[in-house]
Amino acid sequence: MMGVRTASASVWALGLALALLIPLFGTPMMIDVAFRICSLVALAVSWNLMASAGLISLGHSAFFGLGAYAAILTANLAGAPFWLTLVVSLASGALLGSGIALITGRMRGIYFAITTLAMSEGLRVIAVMLPDLTGGAKGAYLASKSFPGATYINFAMGAVAVGTCLIAWALSRSRYHFAFRAMRANEHASQMLGIYPLKYRVAITAISGSLASLAGGVEVWHGGYLDPALAFDLHITITSQIAPILGGLYTLSGPVLGAIATILLGDATRISLGHIQGASLLVFGMVLVVCVLYLPQGIRGGLSDFFRRRSANAAPSGVSTRPADVARP
Amino acid sequence: MDILPQAISDAVLLAGLYTLMAVGLSLGFGVLRIINFAQGEMIMLGAYGAFWLFTLLGVDPLISLPVLVIAGFALGWVIFSGFIAKVLDAPHINQILLTFGLGLAIQHIAIILWTGNARSTQPAYATSSSLIGDVLVVHGRLVAFAVAVVMVVALIAWLRWSETGLATRAVAENRGAATLMGIDTRKIYALSFGVSCALSAATGVVVSFILTITPFVGFPMLVKAIAIVILGGLGSITGTVIGAVVLAFGETFASYYIPDGSGWAEGIAFVLIIGILILSPRGIRGQAVETQ
Repeated sequence: MMGVRTASASVWALGLALALLIPLFGTPMMIDVAFRICSLVALAVSWNLMASAGLISLGHSAFFGLGAYAAILTANLAGAPFWLTLVVSLASGALLGSGIALITGRMRGIYFAITTLAMSEGLRVIAVMLPDLTGGAKGAYLASKSFPGATYINFAMGAVAVGTCLIAWALSRSRYHFAFRAMRANEHASQMLGIYPLKYRVAITAISGSLASLAGGVEVWHGGYLDPALAFDLHITITSQIAPILGGLYTLSGPVLGAIATILLGDATRISLGHIQGASLLVFGMVLVVCVLYLPQGIRGGLSDFFRRRSANAAPSGVSTRPADVARP
Repeated sequence: MDILPQAISDAVLLAGLYTLMAVGLSLGFGVLRIINFAQGEMIMLGAYGAFWLFTLLGVDPLISLPVLVIAGFALGWVIFSGFIAKVLDAPHINQILLTFGLGLAIQHIAIILWTGNARSTQPAYATSSSLIGDVLVVHGRLVAFAVAVVMVVALIAWLRWSETGLATRAVAENRGAATLMGIDTRKIYALSFGVSCALSAATGVVVSFILTITPFVGFPMLVKAIAIVILGGLGSITGTVIGAVVLAFGETFASYYIPDGSGWAEGIAFVLIIGILILSPRGIRGQAVETQ
């Protein structure tokens, strides 16, 4: 098994090294695709972190949009530099995340999903209704004197994606990982084991929310423009849940694989069926249904099944067993 | 002129529509313990059904209502057997994502088939109105209110006096005990999911002549319906009526009395959801959802 692990680690390292070259030498189209993949990696890993604690977000655009508004407002109103606006984005997401966790309290599952859904709608209404602050439905342009340059921002989004993965990795190595698994399986039983769910829930929603908001903050510097429909776009909510499901829920590499697949799938449908309005979201809807019903472990589960079957064929005596760690949603 | 009577009349008529909108969701949630995030799309399909029957064949929405209610029931039954039945015992995440994905797919099939243009049915009563004292009553809203009352009373009668209705209430209350009494819970699930979709289709028919419809019309209605259901508490029709009245009065009074109120009114459902979760997660009436 060690061989597989080193092999996959080197594949990831090689991929990362190649990705680092894109902002410097890539064509504009490659840069654009890579930027959107990085943004979605951050969102998908963040969504997956919540899901791994049994919290299903149906409004990840709430975090994204809040972070985006936090960044543009601090840049425009306070003249804050790039990195400082991102700190504010981060803090706003952490506040919103822990706030939702505290409000939904003991009621996780459905109530958490409903609250995030409502939160996204509610924040959109607020952004539309406060035109003096946010520019209202007309939107607002980023008016910063200290624009750090496009390449710098592309690297920043890459750093956010890598940083998000590192945080998820660190969490998977800590006691949090086991606490989350216990909470997801049975919260009452996990309390018997001495886990205080609220503490973990607030922590994970704060971390996860702040990462999604950070992606929103960088995105504003990339696009230079923000309006409520863009910030609280249903599309963000949908892609950030499809990516982990498509890639493989509750795993480290799943959301990353899923983010790449989701962006490529979205672009492929746009290129081939772009003349049909709504085709790409129809495809995403069907992917969601098919994954839930027939592919609960996503691409990653499919891949590891494939490799296991191959190694089982190579050594006929070996009995193929599912490792206990493979999560079943 | 005092606008209070006008505001009250508008709010009462709106409350009828909201009750009809939420009662289907409440039934589905109460019996299956699954929030159907595609419920808004059932409303949208009902509205388009009424629109096409009106536009192509000139059928009055009130005449197409029974047809579309039956079609909604059939579609609900099919969706239940094809999809929902597979995740009945699955974790919440599967149920939530499945219905969400179904809704997304239905919404975008509608866009592809019928474009995103805003439409509406225009029977004679949709725009005519009468002045009663100082209060202007649009006939379309009055008809919508009447339809809502008839549908909700029919639902209550079914739940109270028919054998399948009694069985449905038994399953909602205690699935295990109902099974022991020899009730086929799976059939009851399919039945109540079908009825819940039929009620949403009826909502859509009504919506087609009092609002404009687009394929996106369902989603904001779902959020409002959820707010009503959790405000009223699960498994209680009385609670749903109270929830609908609170939301309708809140929205109507906000748009009459607050500057820019009609924009803010859209956020009232959201405020209610957050408020209830903080103050009283059980809602006004009804039982708590599982705390798991």
